[in-house]
Amino acid sequence: MTKSQNHAYRLKMAKQNAEAFLRDEGITTLPVDPFAIAASRGIEVKAKPGTAEGVSGMLLRHGDLFGILYATYIPSEGFQRFSIGHELGHYFLEGHIDHILPEDGAHESHAGFVSADPYELEADQFAAGLLMPSIPFKRALARQNPGLEIVESLANLCRTSLTATAIRYAELTDDAVAIIISTGPVIDFCFLSETIKSLPQLTWLRKGSPVPRDTATAQLNANPARVANSDRADADIDIMDWLGGTRSARATEEVIGLGRYGKTLTVLTCPSVQDETYQEEDGEDEEGLAERWTPRFRR
Amino acid sequence: MTKKPNPSEMFKERLKAARDLRKWSQSDLAGRAEMPPSSIAHFEAGSRKPSFDTLRRLANALEVTTDYLLGRVDDPGLAEAGDPLYRDVGKLTGRDREIAKDFLEMLAKKAETKRK
Repeated sequence: MTKSQNHAYRLKMAKQNAEAFLRDEGITTLPVDPFAIAASRGIEVKAKPGTAEGVSGMLLRHGDLFGILYATYIPSEGFQRFSIGHELGHYFLEGHIDHILPEDGAHESHAGFVSADPYELEADQFAAGLLMPSIPFKRALARQNPGLEIVESLANLCRTSLTATAIRYAELTDDAVAIIISTGPVIDFCFLSETIKSLPQLTWLRKGSPVPRDTATAQLNANPARVANSDRADADIDIMDWLGGTRSARATEEVIGLGRYGKTLTVLTCPSVQDETYQEEDGEDEEGLAERWTPRFRR
Repeated sequence: MTKKPNPSEMFKERLKAARDLRKWSQSDLAGRAEMPPSSIAHFEAGSRKPSFDTLRRLANALEVTTDYLLGRVDDPGLAEAGDPLYRDVGKLTGRDREIAKDFLEMLAKKAETKRK
């Protein structure tokens, strides 16, 4: 296994560990309560004073007692719950004792997919799996139309931030969607669902790429007051406007300001692009199926 | 200069030492800590590293402190003073450090109350 394969495997395992933990604890419904999980292990949880910026959370220990401090300077319940989930990741994931205990390097918790440190990313993945476990999340996805509406509805159901929910949506949906977080004229990151990746020769929108000009996102991002006010906009587009490639397809662009963050969330949905894995099976004629499944006996 | 062993390296030695102290087999400990015997074998061999949750469960089952299992104290019954779980506390801003200190004092009081 190469280093990057090993890293990807560990991230996947971190999420699965969270889901296995929920199963073992008999937690099957949404929303998952990270405060109750901490309490079940006797972990004291306390909010840092509202004005204190700095780290998003800390896991602390006194002898055999543990505590979690979490930041509240971002007034988002979703972000705060995610920060607690992240610290629980440090507590429950194997091997994190070497990363976190003093004496061999620097450790800071900045939850929310903003750190490149593999242990911090693992803790983020644990938090995502804990607060948005795949089975109930997918069940909720199946009942709704693709797009920003789904993200808002699931964020409400899981009590998670729009950003974390949108990333999980792209990961678990069969729809062709792209999730973009941007600040002003620059893209912070972009997540593509498996289905949308089937479009040929896509341009991968990397961190630092420019937001395509003349898009609804570019217009909203150009007005910080609208971003801070959580304004929204939408437009009918061609997917090539955003992702390039060689196949034109009608799509919808929906964008919403993320308040004092100064960032926006863009959801691109492309209903004409289907998951072709299933389509081939669906398209198989009944006669062919009956033929293949008819037992044959020698005469 | 020899590199100081990391906590999980210390843990595998201390886990075995604590189990020997109690004169328990791996299965005995596994039963008390409610985990499969193979997990104990993996921890002692170093092929698996513990989580903090596992560390606590094993410390409780063995009736030793987590500090002993981490190699921070040599007496199974003594705990070290509290420390923030940061590998470099200097990285914290002054305000974060103050908040962490207050919180640790609260945990220390709670630990004291538990002992009474």
